[in-house]
Amino acid sequence: MSRSPSPLPGGGVWASPGLNSPNGSGNGRSSPQKIYRINTNANANAVTWEGAKAKSEGLNGYPSFSTQNSGFFSRHYRRISNSLPSYQGGSDKSYAEKEKLGRGRWMPQDGGKMARLKKAIGQINRKTWYRIGVIAVIVLMYILFYVTPAHYWWRRAKHLGGGKKFVIILAANQGGGVMEWKGPREWAIERDSVRNKKKYANRWGYELEIVDMSTKKRYAHEWRESWEKVDTIRNCLRKYPDAEWFWWMDLNTFIMEPSFSLQSHIFNHLGQETYRDINSYNPLNITHPFSAPYLETEENSPVGDGKPSSINLVIPQDCSGFNLGSFFVRRSAWTDRLLDVWWDPVGYEQKHMEWVHKEQDALEFLYINQPWIRTHTAFIPQRKINSFPPGACSDNGNDTHIHYDQRDHDFVVNMAGCEWGRDCWGEMYNYRELSNFLNRNPWELFKEELVAKAWYEITGQKIKI
Amino acid sequence: MHLALPKRKSSDASLYKPRTSRFPTIRRSRVQAGILSFCAIGFFFFIISRVFGGGDGIPSGTPPVVIVTVINTKAGYSKEYIADIKENRAEYARKRGYATFFPTDTDYDLNESPSSWARVPAMRHAMTKFPHSTFFWFLDQNALIMNPFLAVEDDIMNPKLLEDMMIKDQSVVPPDSVIKTFSHIKGNTVDLVLTQDKEGLAQTSFILRRGDWARFFLDTWFDPLYRSYNFQKADTHALEHIVQWHPTILSKLTLIPQRTINAYYMSSPAVDGGHYQAGDFLISFKGCEALLSSEKSCEVWAGPYSKQWRTIFNAR
Repeated sequence: MSRSPSPLPGGGVWASPGLNSPNGSGNGRSSPQKIYRINTNANANAVTWEGAKAKSEGLNGYPSFSTQNSGFFSRHYRRISNSLPSYQGGSDKSYAEKEKLGRGRWMPQDGGKMARLKKAIGQINRKTWYRIGVIAVIVLMYILFYVTPAHYWWRRAKHLGGGKKFVIILAANQGGGVMEWKGPREWAIERDSVRNKKKYANRWGYELEIVDMSTKKRYAHEWRESWEKVDTIRNCLRKYPDAEWFWWMDLNTFIMEPSFSLQSHIFNHLGQETYRDINSYNPLNITHPFSAPYLETEENSPVGDGKPSSINLVIPQDCSGFNLGSFFVRRSAWTDRLLDVWWDPVGYEQKHMEWVHKEQDALEFLYINQPWIRTHTAFIPQRKINSFPPGACSDNGNDTHIHYDQRDHDFVVNMAGCEWGRDCWGEMYNYRELSNFLNRNPWELFKEELVAKAWYEITGQKIKI
Repeated sequence: MHLALPKRKSSDASLYKPRTSRFPTIRRSRVQAGILSFCAIGFFFFIISRVFGGGDGIPSGTPPVVIVTVINTKAGYSKEYIADIKENRAEYARKRGYATFFPTDTDYDLNESPSSWARVPAMRHAMTKFPHSTFFWFLDQNALIMNPFLAVEDDIMNPKLLEDMMIKDQSVVPPDSVIKTFSHIKGNTVDLVLTQDKEGLAQTSFILRRGDWARFFLDTWFDPLYRSYNFQKADTHALEHIVQWHPTILSKLTLIPQRTINAYYMSSPAVDGGHYQAGDFLISFKGCEALLSSEKSCEVWAGPYSKQWRTIFNAR
């Protein structure tokens, strides 16, 4: 549509009927209908001429540097006129009726509020529309991603979040079954621990496998109870063919920081988070590396080949050696071999009295004696995945390499050994509450840090909101 | 949409930007040509590397097979006998372009266990010394190669031939072990080739393909708990044990007829049809060590054959 302000011969476009505006050229009133215009043709022409004349006089009266829109009103004319209520020409009425109603008056619009809203929307300019659009898209995406299960599928998908690549194996019922009765405390521990891992696995799209480790005499040829870790991991390898990393967790563990994903916490930079050279922390005093002349350079090197891609086993060490309460193993041919030779009847026969920690001792033995194990094993600082409460490993007091510290937001706490003389359920409960406290959402923070404190300042009473 | 006032046009004439230099430095056509030629050169090198790149970066002249023989220094073998054994291997290796490796049983720290265990670290040692060779053939000291015209990589380890030769679904330790060799093994996945004699698995002659599995296998075999366990036949029984208990080992192993790589001297305990016949790859004098104290039985047994192998070697 042409918005040219200059008068055209014939006056067809110069459509303003009641042109008595001092500023002459053009106005924002809605164009009357064609019928109307035709009827008032003569009038329109006359007005056109006058308006044009006035304009040119204005121009002629001042030299060229004088701008037309110098005054406040002329500069803001458009904005003001935009904000004014608009003249209703009564587009659906005939001219005759309009005459009766008194044209040129300021009329309330028909249709009331709805129409006014429509009008208001019509008056929003394009830039604002863009802004509104962008905000709407962001809100929509947020809803789509976080309110619907989209983010869950995104995080699981192989090439997006990669959550399917991780399986958490949670050992429930350890040593239970025929050996002892489970009391209400044990049930509570199990319930809390399982819920904690379920929530975590759901949040990041990981797989969770809860295995029943209750003692059964399942092996006819050897009494092999509680060596089932190996078989369980092997079953999981078969059950989750898409998964790459398997995270073994004992029941007495608690994920304190569910907002950490395994990828961002460890696996995106596996090489930096782990150490290959056991000499940097060596509670077992293992001679490392091998120095046998018949071995290859990789096996005589303290860090193997040094590439994160060759790491197939990630274990933490506590004050007394390897700790298999929380460790990672990667799917690989190497892993199949390890799981295969981990338990061996000849070793078992000779060592089962000596190896009180079963698989853990067997693994230490393999690590000490067999070079092929060392080149694919890496250690992770204990507090990355397996912080201890003050009660465990407590002979030398608190150790910053071993014990949980809430200021550092340790990822996982493992209440190792709580079943021997400590209160498992008490510890579990405390850590659960602490985890909730450390991960309060903004609303809770507002209530507890601001409102409750202010209330305490004013009234001297502590409240719980 | 109607606006109250139409937009005003700018009355300034737009200016042309001055040229930055006299001539444009890069014309579009030149950029295109540059990118195209870059792609072409990259593609050329890619093709070249595909065609001429020898694959795994194996330097030329690498022996495909390494023959490993552990020399026993404790029992009273005569110097001539040992020299003859070594020459037999070396001569065969020279004909085929292989390498030989002769460590002694005192080279390795065996921690008081029988010296026959030395074969395990010796194999690892060979793999370290020849880091690019594919096959490592352990051949017991008391054996002689009799047919230099057979090649290990072509006549034995060739996957097609191997698939024809392999003995499937066979009890690992005859007569009544419940563990049997797998029946669905492909020739190119086999990492260990073994034979059986009358007493069970014979490891007087076996061929191992280099790789992660070989390291795993040798380390597992060499586990201190097996060495301290007092197996009646030390490493032989340890091998039978790991093969039967650990499927990851059994699945990479294949048995082939005894005479192909481990034909026995007539007094040795071979399976039916496992005794040496003229034209066989080698002859092994298993069991001669047991008689060693009374007479120099190994040397006596090997006597006629040590003359024979030279004539066969020089025949063609």
